[in-house]
Amino acid sequence: MNDRVVITGLGVVSSIGIGWQEFWDNLLKGKSGISPVSSFDTTNHFTHNGGEVRNFRAEDFIPAERLPFMNRATQMAVASAKLAWDDAGLTAGDAAERAIGVSHGTTLGAAQAIEDVDALLIQQQGLRKGLLYQMPTHTAPSAIAREFDCHGPNFMFSTACAAGNYAIAHAHDLIRMDRAPIVLAGASDAVSRIEYTGFNQFKAVAPEKCRPFDKDRKGMIPAEGAGTLVIESLEAAVRRKATIYAEIGGYGLSCDAHHMTTATVEGISACMNKALREAGIAKEEVSYISAHGTGTVANDKMECASIREVFGPLYKGIPVSSIKSMLGHTMGAASALEAIACALIVRHDMIPPTINYETPDPECDIDCVPNKARAHKVHIALNNSYAFGGNNASLVIKKFLQ
Amino acid sequence: MKVRAVITGIGVLSPIGQGKDAYWEALQRGATGVRPITLFDPAPFRVRSAGEITDFDALAYLGKKGLRDLDRSTRLVCSAARLALDDSGLIVTEDSSRAVGVAIGTTFGSLHSIAQFDRSGLLEGPRFVNPSHFPNTVINSPASQVSIRFTIKGFNTTLSTGFCAGLDALSYAADFIGLGRADAVLAGGVEELCEETFRLFHDLGYLSGMNGAGPVSRPFDADRDGFVLSEGSAVLVVEDEAHARSRGADILAVILGCGNAFDPEADSAFERAGRGLRDAIERALEEARVRPKDIGYVCSCANGTPGLDRMEARVLTEVFGEEARRVPVSSIKSMIGETFSASGALAAAAAVGAIRQGFIPPTVNHRQADPLCACDIVPNAARSRAVKTVLVTAADPYGQNSALVVGGYNR
Repeated sequence: MNDRVVITGLGVVSSIGIGWQEFWDNLLKGKSGISPVSSFDTTNHFTHNGGEVRNFRAEDFIPAERLPFMNRATQMAVASAKLAWDDAGLTAGDAAERAIGVSHGTTLGAAQAIEDVDALLIQQQGLRKGLLYQMPTHTAPSAIAREFDCHGPNFMFSTACAAGNYAIAHAHDLIRMDRAPIVLAGASDAVSRIEYTGFNQFKAVAPEKCRPFDKDRKGMIPAEGAGTLVIESLEAAVRRKATIYAEIGGYGLSCDAHHMTTATVEGISACMNKALREAGIAKEEVSYISAHGTGTVANDKMECASIREVFGPLYKGIPVSSIKSMLGHTMGAASALEAIACALIVRHDMIPPTINYETPDPECDIDCVPNKARAHKVHIALNNSYAFGGNNASLVIKKFLQ
Repeated sequence: MKVRAVITGIGVLSPIGQGKDAYWEALQRGATGVRPITLFDPAPFRVRSAGEITDFDALAYLGKKGLRDLDRSTRLVCSAARLALDDSGLIVTEDSSRAVGVAIGTTFGSLHSIAQFDRSGLLEGPRFVNPSHFPNTVINSPASQVSIRFTIKGFNTTLSTGFCAGLDALSYAADFIGLGRADAVLAGGVEELCEETFRLFHDLGYLSGMNGAGPVSRPFDADRDGFVLSEGSAVLVVEDEAHARSRGADILAVILGCGNAFDPEADSAFERAGRGLRDAIERALEEARVRPKDIGYVCSCANGTPGLDRMEARVLTEVFGEEARRVPVSSIKSMIGETFSASGALAAAAAVGAIRQGFIPPTVNHRQADPLCACDIVPNAARSRAVKTVLVTAADPYGQNSALVVGGYNR
């Protein structure tokens, strides 16, 4: 068993930055990545904004001949993995010597391919084989492993909007159990007509801005992105003299077992408590919570009630921010991008804000780090994520100390 | 000492039988589940039969309540979970609920719901789509409904690794038990038969019968021409040995080890693949502390895809060396067809049957040997034989490979 699991590389494809440096700079600036949706027609939807990654050029990362076989989410996944791989200083020699694993997550990874097929069938047109090869859910971890010649375990978690945390959590277990010395863990999702329509029909999409915890919040904003973290045992990281961003303390999963789309305080609280217990962390030690914080009335209220439930009188003293205020909700990718933010937060002792915040909501009376980044010592960050189906996952990310 | 993960209950919905006992009996008999498709109109396709569970009646397993909005995959996996819980005698209470989890492998289980939802938006406009169908578009919906229905709160995980997902769910469950994260896990896989999945495998040329003759599942046979697409679900109760014993459960088998490896050389025809499956098998054997000669039966993933069957036969020959021809290697997909992400769980359920009832399931529909698949494939008729340890395999054209070693339980 490896006791200590660390993060040694970060890769980001997001609407506010490609590569972690640009992403991090813009998180601290409080930059919004929200813009009018361009990848499909929203004329007949109630809302028109989304969080598309406008300047993503897949050909900068992936050989042109492979692109026709990859859906957009997979392209972003491979790009984020490539950025993380380079950031971690991994080489072809590392992949040849040891069986590197891939643990990936998504909500509807192949959505764009499924949508293309649906449209072509309605128009009674033929389907090209490349498009059909894009349809399975597990193309992203496969494409990542092919890119770097990874012979280790290869997993795809489809646990909706908590998928990134599930994938990182399992990578952590794989390393603890000595199943793989290094794992590329992350998640990806592309903006999808299906998601956009579904959340619109739920009346859950904000028309202009995403303003988590604000009294006048109007909902989430569907978005896209990908994030990859290089995760390895402390021993392996030290041996190859890697830069260590942070340590993974442990995680907790829970299931509400209640309703497909309505969370429970009990389920979310159980999840946070499990994560803290496994990491051996006292509540007083938590110095930051990366909220699921989607910006819907119900989610934010439920999440704040759960934080109160778990942390009792301590809750007002813990900064809790939602970077979804800037990115929108990148679905399965969200908790991977948020985990990357947490790794940078504990490394740099800076907390990104919840932007668009104007009017306090007594039901969300947490310290949401409104509008401006804050310098704050962060030893322990708790990364929360909840999903349709009541699939909850919380991850503990710690400052790395020798 | 490592906590042992044991199997204490099995629930099966398959085209050859529903419920563990009927399923095991069908495997011994050499039943086949291929029949004309009724779930959708197969007229546009060159193949018109599949492994449809025509007599599946969710009402009989689940009752009327809460059934209306559930898609077929969800009904199948909830029914299999019901059977597995009943078989194991495990009672999930409010107190024990947080120590029980769900891990389900599925990749296209929600594809029909997703595509239907999308087409409704395209044809009728996004404001006319039925919002109550939106929750069915997430791939974790079948697994989540298992938790909702049986109030299982420990965790809920969906794995989507294609042909490997069923086995991966079982190994994930065994790891959770081994790490002390749960007392029991309902683990398995599910796929429904639908037009969308069928079209994909049809258009990519994976199906048997593309030449107009009826599809036949004949793994390892010289005349094999692809697989028969099927549906099904198997859910196994994977439990902490001490927990199972303390409640006096009948322990059916033990999960001894698992292995998982990616094959960067993998290709859609399995022409270059091989190293990944070999790595997965070797890792599983090593973890199980079992030598190749201790394996009494290989429950193979061969499905009639020419390259896959050849690749697996070659890999087994490499792993088993001189023992290769002495180890029975059969494919239950000759009877069931290819249930994709459910196949690993159905294979594990068959492996437990082989151990408990002392038989090797046959590879049916066999006519002519393929010299490149030189294994003892147990042609056409089951064999009565005591089996202690079984190796179960899975391989995916996208490169994922998994293996699981299941053994008889000795105190």
